[in-house]
Amino acid sequence: MTRTALWIAAGVVLGLIVHLVIMLMLPALSPKDVWQKIPGIETANTITLLDPVTPGSPNPLALDPLFSYAICRIDLSRGPGEVVGDLPNTFWSVAVYARDGRVVYSTTNRSGTSGTLELGVFNSEQTQLLARQEIPVEEGLLIVQSPVDDIFALIRLAAPYPVVRARYRDILSALTCRNIGS
Amino acid sequence: MRFVVNLFAMLTVALVVGFGLSYLALTSWSPVGTMKVGPWVAWPEVGAPEPDPYTNAYLARQAVLQLGRSEGIRFVAGTDSDGRALDRNCRYRIDGSTPVAAFWTLIAVDAKGVDIARPDGMAEVVGTSLPRPADGSIEVRVSKRLAPGYWYEITGEGRFSLVLTLYDASIFSGLGSQVEKLPAILNEGCA
Repeated sequence: MTRTALWIAAGVVLGLIVHLVIMLMLPALSPKDVWQKIPGIETANTITLLDPVTPGSPNPLALDPLFSYAICRIDLSRGPGEVVGDLPNTFWSVAVYARDGRVVYSTTNRSGTSGTLELGVFNSEQTQLLARQEIPVEEGLLIVQSPVDDIFALIRLAAPYPVVRARYRDILSALTCRNIGS
Repeated sequence: MRFVVNLFAMLTVALVVGFGLSYLALTSWSPVGTMKVGPWVAWPEVGAPEPDPYTNAYLARQAVLQLGRSEGIRFVAGTDSDGRALDRNCRYRIDGSTPVAAFWTLIAVDAKGVDIARPDGMAEVVGTSLPRPADGSIEVRVSKRLAPGYWYEITGEGRFSLVLTLYDASIFSGLGSQVEKLPAILNEGCA
């Protein structure tokens, strides 16, 4: 009986190890990632508008229907990235994601950047060059350091009234997303 | 023979414990990585640049566009304040106050995350559009059938979840213990 209890206890310990291995391996083993769900993500340096979220329609990215969304992929191995443009006087936010869906950086218009989005994304090496003033950038550019090269930025623009949505989508389309200097 | 039986028992226990704990760790039952306020559950580290391993596994499993820490925090409730699963044949009153944020939204979704609001009605409740008394409390009724007060109409059959998103609530997103109170979800009867 005691021996059986020891075997069961060993099973529990082994189970805890299995659990830890599963939790650590899951991100690498996951068959789908957010990247694969985003339409138009293959093309870098291009603003893509996401379809509006409406009742009854699939919402695989778990988006809030209140917002209009623009997304842009930037490959930092081709140079630092920037997303710039004017945005209306409503709540908006921008998040920079790594390919695995982790949020590298995020901010909102309430943090003092007012009606202009001026976001620069640099990898570690480029940040060092920037510190040595070897990369010329516009004054006022918000500097963000990314640990990875393949990133995408998502701009969320709150559209509280349906009548403004078409105009807001035009505004999002007019944003510039590119590698600095390209 | 006894050795084989014991070995089989050990492996069975290991698999049940290993996979069982892993499943629970990725749901709202997870004691690690989640923040629970009444029936509401959030993963506060989900928008952090370097989330903990449990949140990282949750991120991989969800594979959705999470909100960054500065953008806000998303709470999900699959039960009412008494712990009973939310049912579309019942009427619920969302009653109480929300933490300080730029604004908030409330959406009813099915198990696949599809918005179950009436297609030609309000897709969601936006906090700023709500009449609020001086104490800042809110009162919203969620049901398929006409309800008094501020009514958020939903459709269909079966269980559902409520998603409450607080935008620009950066004070809270990194400091979970500071979210002291969220609105209660009260069942007002079922059809």
